[in-house]
Amino acid sequence: MGHPLSDDQRRTLTSVLDELIPPSADGRLPGAGALGLADYVEQVVQATPELAGMIAEGLATLDDTARSRAGRAFADLAQPEKVALLHEQPFVFPLMFHVFTGYYKEPRVVAALGLEPRAPHPKGHEMAPVELGLLDTVRRRAPFHRAC
Amino acid sequence: MSVTDDPVDVLIIGAGASGAALAWSLSDTRMNILCLEQGDWMDPNRYPGMTEDWELRQLGDFALSPNARGRREDYPVNDADSPISASMFNAVGGSTILYAAHFPRLHPSDFRVRTLDGVADDWPLDYARLAPYYALNERMMGVSGLAGDPAYPPKTPPLPPLPLGKVGETLGRGFNRLGWHWWPSDSAITSQPYEGRAACINAGTCLLGCPQGAKASTDITYWPLALRRGVRLATHCRVREITVGANGMADGVIYYDAEGREQKQRAEVVVLACNGIGTPRLLLNSRSKHFPDGLANRSGLVGKNLMFHPYAMVTGVFDQRLEGYKGATGCCIMSQEFYETDRARGFVRGYSFEILRGFGPVSTALWGMSSGRMPWGADHHRAYGELFDRTAGMVVICEDLPEAHNTVTLDAELADADGIPAPKITYRLSENSTAMLEHSVARARQVLEASGAHDTVTDAPLRFAGWHLMGTARMGTDPERSVVNEWGRCHDVRNLFVVDGSVFVTAGAVNPTNTIQALALHIADTIKQNLANLFD
Repeated sequence: MGHPLSDDQRRTLTSVLDELIPPSADGRLPGAGALGLADYVEQVVQATPELAGMIAEGLATLDDTARSRAGRAFADLAQPEKVALLHEQPFVFPLMFHVFTGYYKEPRVVAALGLEPRAPHPKGHEMAPVELGLLDTVRRRAPFHRAC
Repeated sequence: MSVTDDPVDVLIIGAGASGAALAWSLSDTRMNILCLEQGDWMDPNRYPGMTEDWELRQLGDFALSPNARGRREDYPVNDADSPISASMFNAVGGSTILYAAHFPRLHPSDFRVRTLDGVADDWPLDYARLAPYYALNERMMGVSGLAGDPAYPPKTPPLPPLPLGKVGETLGRGFNRLGWHWWPSDSAITSQPYEGRAACINAGTCLLGCPQGAKASTDITYWPLALRRGVRLATHCRVREITVGANGMADGVIYYDAEGREQKQRAEVVVLACNGIGTPRLLLNSRSKHFPDGLANRSGLVGKNLMFHPYAMVTGVFDQRLEGYKGATGCCIMSQEFYETDRARGFVRGYSFEILRGFGPVSTALWGMSSGRMPWGADHHRAYGELFDRTAGMVVICEDLPEAHNTVTLDAELADADGIPAPKITYRLSENSTAMLEHSVARARQVLEASGAHDTVTDAPLRFAGWHLMGTARMGTDPERSVVNEWGRCHDVRNLFVVDGSVFVTAGAVNPTNTIQALALHIADTIKQNLANLFD
């Protein structure tokens, strides 16, 4: 991926992303591809030329293999076929790192996890004061540091 | 600010934890004091906690390792020959910008290791000597905690403890079930407004700088006070070497300014406050006809006896949500049940447990991935749901003992942006540390299970946990067995002082910043008391 992805490559990548993180069964969480993570992934892997090359090669191999085995592009395969092909690809594990980081910082995902999608500061979080009663047994203990 | 070659009375190298404390203390002498810092002032409004992608910044410009950050202000460290990598930060405030601000004291027994346990060496001072400086430092930094801890002699933190949260309460009950010691952590984080600083808002971004100003980094504690009293601080000034006059005394430094130009600064007294790696690096880079093996190194001990604290991280997975994204990241509760020596355990000395908070959304995914618990595909959301906000971590801090083969040396090829030879660390875990880690991990699992965890994950030794850099210019009374005396003055160079973690004789089993700063205050006081005959 030394230059912007072609439409075909982007379609393959989006399909791969939806397999790595598919939509949740309850519909609250979108698939990573449907979320539009391809832009982010493309951007971050460009910063690592080795990874960019590995992923570009992997996307091409996926499509070539899909066409030779099933006569269709990877994105048009049935889901079990996609999964089987992805298990053969060495680029999947390094790609996961960027997919996970990109996915779990997305406001829509953060909100679905039950958190406010915002910067931690300046609002912070409310917490209850210390419940000192929990310490009663420790408080009754005699000092145990060694005398010197 | 501009710096001239006019000699200063005191030149401090490094504006971190110890340099700041010493500068503030010495400032009441009205001496001409200058600090050179290779980093810059940090802008709290630009800390990652002010942004939605804050978790990602831990992997980039706010990574723990200077090698990962690659900022010009940092210098690289060759850590290929060590299972623990060095974590540090270069800025006004030094590594206090990124530290967790866990702020325990050493125990009295830590100063008497040889006498009590027959290993390493005793310190040339004791707990009673440092106690008033601990108390002063805790007031200056604004420490939250709770008096009455039976693990320590009496002490009274100036502020009430930080919230325990569900994580602390859950683990506290676990310790109670086992009958083991635990206590709210002493934390250099304000639980209430204090000395112009706002109270902690439990944002959970401590390791990325504190935009709130609740965490005590020295850029907001000691430095403003020191500058107000006339101390000067020059940033982007990277010292290459300390120079020596014909009389064998230090007479100044050569440094590179922000534009990379070589500059000279003369000084009557030079103070090293560069941490346990930066200080030996600078001494070893300062060779002269008087000191062909490095400045103040006639003992051959500069760079020797490098101590980290070997860490283990044991994370428990719980059924219930723990709100672990809330609260001071590294400051919750601590246990010192296994701190003091019990030879029946198969090792000497001991360790502390420190309870951490949980992971944020991104960190959960990455931790799950690295521990093999986070698949891609159809099972991903189930696996993620079982981990997110359902983990509580605890770290073990094991005491490290000084060993001459654990070293900081100069790398033959690696250099910083100014071409100054970079440090190389060579380190291996001792049998004692290995046995201690094994013991501690088993006990950590016991606590987590007693707290209700249904699964635990262990990472030991924790590679990125080289936060505590100690022992590489140790103090002592014998010039053949130590680099500095009991008040930080180099045996070989009587106007050269070391005030950072390099001077530690042993490591104890707690975070060292409170002790580093208490020592710096003690050394500053001793300098002031001996001004009339400082070089005798």
